[in-house]
Amino acid sequence: MVPPQIIHLLSETCKSLKRRGVDYADLRWVEETHEELVVQNLQVEHVSLSTTEGVSIRVLHQGAWGYASSCRIDPAGLRHTAEKAIEMAKAVALDSKTKAKFPPFPPSKGHYETPLEVDPFSVEMQKKLDYLMWACRILKDHPSIKTATAKLDFYRTDKLFLSTEGALIEQRITESGGTIEAAAALDHEIQRRSFPSSNDSCLAQAGYEYVKSLDFVGEAVRVRKEAVALLRAKECPSGLKTVLLMPDQLVLQIHESCGHPAELDRALGMELSFAGGSFLTPDRLGKLRYGSKRVNITADATLPRGCGTFGYDDEGVPARKVPIIQEGIFTGYLSSRESAAAIGRVSSGAMRADGWNSVPIVRMTNVNLEPGTGTLEDLVRDTKRGILMATNKSWSIDDRRLNFQFGTEIAWEIRGGKIGQPFKNPVYTGITPEFWNSCSGIAGPEEWRLYGVPNCAKGEPVQVMHVGHGASPARFEKVQVGRHAAR
Amino acid sequence: MLLGEARILSALRKAARASRADQTLLAVQRVGQTTLRFANGKIHQNFHEEDLLVWIKVACGGRSGVATTSSLKHSSLEKAIEAAIAIAHLSGKATVPAFSTAPLSLAPPRLTTYFPATVHQPMSENVRRIRALNRCCEKAGLGLAGSFTVGESELAVAGSKGLVQYQPFSLGGLRLVATREGGSGFAAQAFRDLGTLEPEHLLDRAMDSCRKNRDPKPLRLGKYDVLLEPEAVAELVEWLSGIGFGAKQMQERTSFMAGRLGEQIMGKRISIYDDGADPRGLAAPFDMEGVPKQRVDLIVEGRAEGIVYDSHYGKIYHRPSTGHALAYDDFEGPLASNLFLRAGQTPRAEMLKRMGHGLWITRFHYVSGLLKPREALMTGLTRDGTFIVKRGKVVGAAKNLRFTQSILEAFSNVLAVSREQHLVGDPAQGFSSVVTPALLIKGFTFTGQTK
Repeated sequence: MVPPQIIHLLSETCKSLKRRGVDYADLRWVEETHEELVVQNLQVEHVSLSTTEGVSIRVLHQGAWGYASSCRIDPAGLRHTAEKAIEMAKAVALDSKTKAKFPPFPPSKGHYETPLEVDPFSVEMQKKLDYLMWACRILKDHPSIKTATAKLDFYRTDKLFLSTEGALIEQRITESGGTIEAAAALDHEIQRRSFPSSNDSCLAQAGYEYVKSLDFVGEAVRVRKEAVALLRAKECPSGLKTVLLMPDQLVLQIHESCGHPAELDRALGMELSFAGGSFLTPDRLGKLRYGSKRVNITADATLPRGCGTFGYDDEGVPARKVPIIQEGIFTGYLSSRESAAAIGRVSSGAMRADGWNSVPIVRMTNVNLEPGTGTLEDLVRDTKRGILMATNKSWSIDDRRLNFQFGTEIAWEIRGGKIGQPFKNPVYTGITPEFWNSCSGIAGPEEWRLYGVPNCAKGEPVQVMHVGHGASPARFEKVQVGRHAAR
Repeated sequence: MLLGEARILSALRKAARASRADQTLLAVQRVGQTTLRFANGKIHQNFHEEDLLVWIKVACGGRSGVATTSSLKHSSLEKAIEAAIAIAHLSGKATVPAFSTAPLSLAPPRLTTYFPATVHQPMSENVRRIRALNRCCEKAGLGLAGSFTVGESELAVAGSKGLVQYQPFSLGGLRLVATREGGSGFAAQAFRDLGTLEPEHLLDRAMDSCRKNRDPKPLRLGKYDVLLEPEAVAELVEWLSGIGFGAKQMQERTSFMAGRLGEQIMGKRISIYDDGADPRGLAAPFDMEGVPKQRVDLIVEGRAEGIVYDSHYGKIYHRPSTGHALAYDDFEGPLASNLFLRAGQTPRAEMLKRMGHGLWITRFHYVSGLLKPREALMTGLTRDGTFIVKRGKVVGAAKNLRFTQSILEAFSNVLAVSREQHLVGDPAQGFSSVVTPALLIKGFTFTGQTK
């Protein structure tokens, strides 16, 4: 965990900042290790071990924020970083019209560590590569499969947080995960299938036992067969359709159309120049019908195995579960101490930085669609005609998070309550509240799956955060599939 | 303050010499940058980031391994080299690693990429600039959000057989979004030399666009002729690069160039090339393997001409590296990131008139090129100003629109290319940019719009 000399160094710097008379200061030390293994077409494509370590200091001085970070971790380095943070704050304070309103918070002294069965860093790399090679061999076992890829990622993050309020928090977060993908090609056609999610590894805050539970070897046969089948599949038909979304697509739908717009800094206009704003403005809190009564969305930083799970956020607020959407009504935000105070609320504990050198900003934790009742089979059985879509392929949404378009890797026809032929290149589009208001069914807890998304981008410079999303399959009515007919 | 060539290269050389691997290549990127972010009349984020990362690639018995560390201390470098050696000894087919650790016959171009004034401007002066911009906006009854970044970066590469490269960079950028109820306008500039920054000009552009962006109207979906400003074009060109101009995408056959080299895939008005040595972009003389960046013609008058390579893919294709390697822990393959779209003959000021009826688009948002990469089918939205043009004049604003469009098709339907080019880049990236003109395109397809 955190070396004693690091605790001593940061404690001394914290004391000196207090003596300097800053209004507030917090110090974060972070050491991160990332192991990445990729096997492609039965070759070891890439193996790397990355480590990074540094300290950041945030001060509130003369009513203005200053922030500095450095990988120089010795008394002189910390003194310099602290001076830089104060200098930054002073420069802004001189010209500040309004003082930052940063509410006090009871300081925590605590410890959090990811519960795990098998430390992934204790498992030999060779064993991991053998596992990937095995899965890759099965994925590649068809002449149409041109690229078969199997990947594993493991992260360990040790963190120390200290503040002039008296907080002293140690955390060790371990994440494990991976993905497999088969890309089939025929003439100019390329089709892909992935598991458990596309574009990058699906992570969980867990040990190697999570990777084993994914059963890449068992899933590889299905993934390969579906990729090959898509080469001969029909194009997904267009029109207003009843659409069923599997959890591996719903997670991106939740991420883009609920998670991001519910970030309070966005809603307050602080991300306007880059990521954009939000239609979930504070005047709509408690009033806006965001979705149908079935729709309950929570941000839960306490969820076991969630990629957005922690003991405390990066300004010392303990992890919590907060409602975002309750029975379809917009009721809560992801927020920090300062942003929450701006609308008269308390922090949801969502202030996070993607590393030691990044400034904490409001981020998603685990933003989940709460389960309904029944099974996927029940949803399908109750659908006369529709389209079932699975596994996100592309995503795009406007700067206020209203107009979205998603593509998935695969879809299947639903006719007479039964799943039929597969379709390729499915795309659907909509307007966020209209879409969620059309939700006519959500399957129950037994169908609920949690995904770890390792590539959520926000901030300037861009920070890439690990967040979690859980969902059961859900059904939506009158969704525009494919393109609108041009008028 | 720069760590400096001597200090960085001395640490790398010492580590490379001490390595017991057959070959060892080390690359360092050190960044120190200050960012001010502002909105609602105040600076709400104000931070200085210092970062240093060392990438290590070793070759042992025909296999390679990669490790990184965030320290230049000899003990840290030694530890990371040992980790890379351990990785190289894992199973996998032995092949002769392609990267070179010896001095290269080709010298990188001499480039001035460091302007001390960019880095040494007092923080109080940067704050004063932002405050002045805010005041202008307030006087005009508009809001302002944005960011201002200035900083420096150092890139160095050293190999166990004597390869050494070092280059310092200054970097910066100003992004402005002027806002009013129901509308906004955008302008941005990336720079190496702070002396070239024109904040007042940028503010005028953002405010002018914001003022025009009033009462946006819904439009019928379908095809419209469009005038795309450089910021919008740049996003499409970046995506073309990401999905199609690299050897990895070629090998995996996902590139729209795969199997089509030499064929006409766009209109004759479009020529795209990559040139890391051209100082009109955010130039960088060599890549992460220390290989000098070559100018590569990617699209010549609409014809698929070439792709970029790093040492690994160069070996697969029996070509020399073109100097487009990314960091060693990235396995996305080589990337063209100093992109140029060749200028045309039409003065920008005449392009609206030339279009007659159509839409003038200042910027795109959240483009995705993953729909059908083989066709370069992309989707995305307009942002911060979509204007209705009739008889060559702006007659109103439109609600933000979603396009779903093959960019191969769109770039086959280019009616005019502006004479003026504009640098579009992200200062945080530092080494990548697109220098592009505005484009007038016939029949761009819009498939949705915002509320």
